[in-house]
Amino acid sequence: MIEHCQIARAAEFESLSDFRDFIKTTCAGQAGIDDQTCYDLQLAVDEACTNIITHGYAGMNPGTIILSMEIFSDQVRLTITDFGQPFEPSETPAPDLQAIMEDQEDSGFGLFFIYQTMDDIQYQTSEAGNQLVFIKKLLPGDESQT
Amino acid sequence: MFRYLRLKNRPEKIVPDFGVLTTEQLARNPDTPLTLRQINNLPENVKKRAYRNLLSPNLLTKFNIHPITWKDAHGEQCVAIKAEPESGVVEISAHKPGDSKGAFFTLEIADNTFNGIDLNLLLLNDPQGPYFQTDVDEDGQATLFGSLHRNLEEEQRAFQAGLAPGQVRPSLGASKITLQQLEVFLATLGHQAYFLEPLTYASAWIFERRGFAYVRGHQLMDEIQAQFQPGGRLQQALDSSTPFRQPKQNCSVRGRAWAIHDGILEAIDARWNNLRMVKQIGRHAGVNTFPEGIY
Repeated sequence: MIEHCQIARAAEFESLSDFRDFIKTTCAGQAGIDDQTCYDLQLAVDEACTNIITHGYAGMNPGTIILSMEIFSDQVRLTITDFGQPFEPSETPAPDLQAIMEDQEDSGFGLFFIYQTMDDIQYQTSEAGNQLVFIKKLLPGDESQT
Repeated sequence: MFRYLRLKNRPEKIVPDFGVLTTEQLARNPDTPLTLRQINNLPENVKKRAYRNLLSPNLLTKFNIHPITWKDAHGEQCVAIKAEPESGVVEISAHKPGDSKGAFFTLEIADNTFNGIDLNLLLLNDPQGPYFQTDVDEDGQATLFGSLHRNLEEEQRAFQAGLAPGQVRPSLGASKITLQQLEVFLATLGHQAYFLEPLTYASAWIFERRGFAYVRGHQLMDEIQAQFQPGGRLQQALDSSTPFRQPKQNCSVRGRAWAIHDGILEAIDARWNNLRMVKQIGRHAGVNTFPEGIY
């Protein structure tokens, strides 16, 4: 692992800019992470944290969201931990844009976007909280970005 | 992952509680956590072996208490355990030999609704320090750490002596070693986290430094931090209207804690209740809601 950083903030919308800044700062100067990758990670975390703030911590004085970022030579691994209500995992692998549009609901596009931009997504709940993991593979040998 | 954002209707129990612990169960998957009720249903001496891990040997020997027998040099038993069969609660306390002013160490943990672990009580008092009767009011009624009744005169003395709300003596300064010991014990049982409800602002701040995050109340802690800044509503409410609301109390953790104990959160239409914190075993959350804070 090249780098491992972590930030913890309250689950409120004001924290989203801190998470974006944290990702930008951590990505800066890292080999293989171009601006587009950084932007994808920021947007995915933005969407996921918005869901946690809106749904996971609904109806209570919100707790913490911990965002940790591990950068390896071939991938970035972002873990979002929260302690709110867990989501119901689904066997269905990915959201279907057509179905989302047919549902005519505002929600769903965020998840669709996350599935489109991340290479792997894992979700698990335990007594230690809810963990959502995004994995974004990096292009090999692109040292020119540093 | 998930396809739609749907909250779980019924969060599952963390541990299937079989009540009685058998060797067969122990031999199965070692990652499956055990409940305290299962431990409490074991024979007394087996329990004692298990719960011995809750006490730091270094802390005991500091007071000349044998870490295995829990006796002092004169053979007096200095450590007590309450761990009744069928109960999911264990309380362990230790007193300094010859000290009649109560235990220097009290720890109570319990199985919670989901068979996770709650740290209900942790008292670490310096037995050499002065005693303040903040735990009993003028009529002799228990104050329950000032949450039910208050002994204002004693609280003022405690405040001036540098104690935090809820304390009867200066702190032992052993929270780090005690919580590390607790984590080792809970890891042995197979738990990945434990929970607590901080009694005061000062204790929440200390638990943050020990690596806890918030299940509930992080936003309130941020709000407290914001409103204690110059010009903020809490800072303005430090108006000397009571001995616990003096100017500049916003600069220290204890100062804020006493003002909050005195009800200053009314100024922001809030109350100190319903906060809940979580510690992930082996992980530091990195929460810091009063970054420039001095105790």
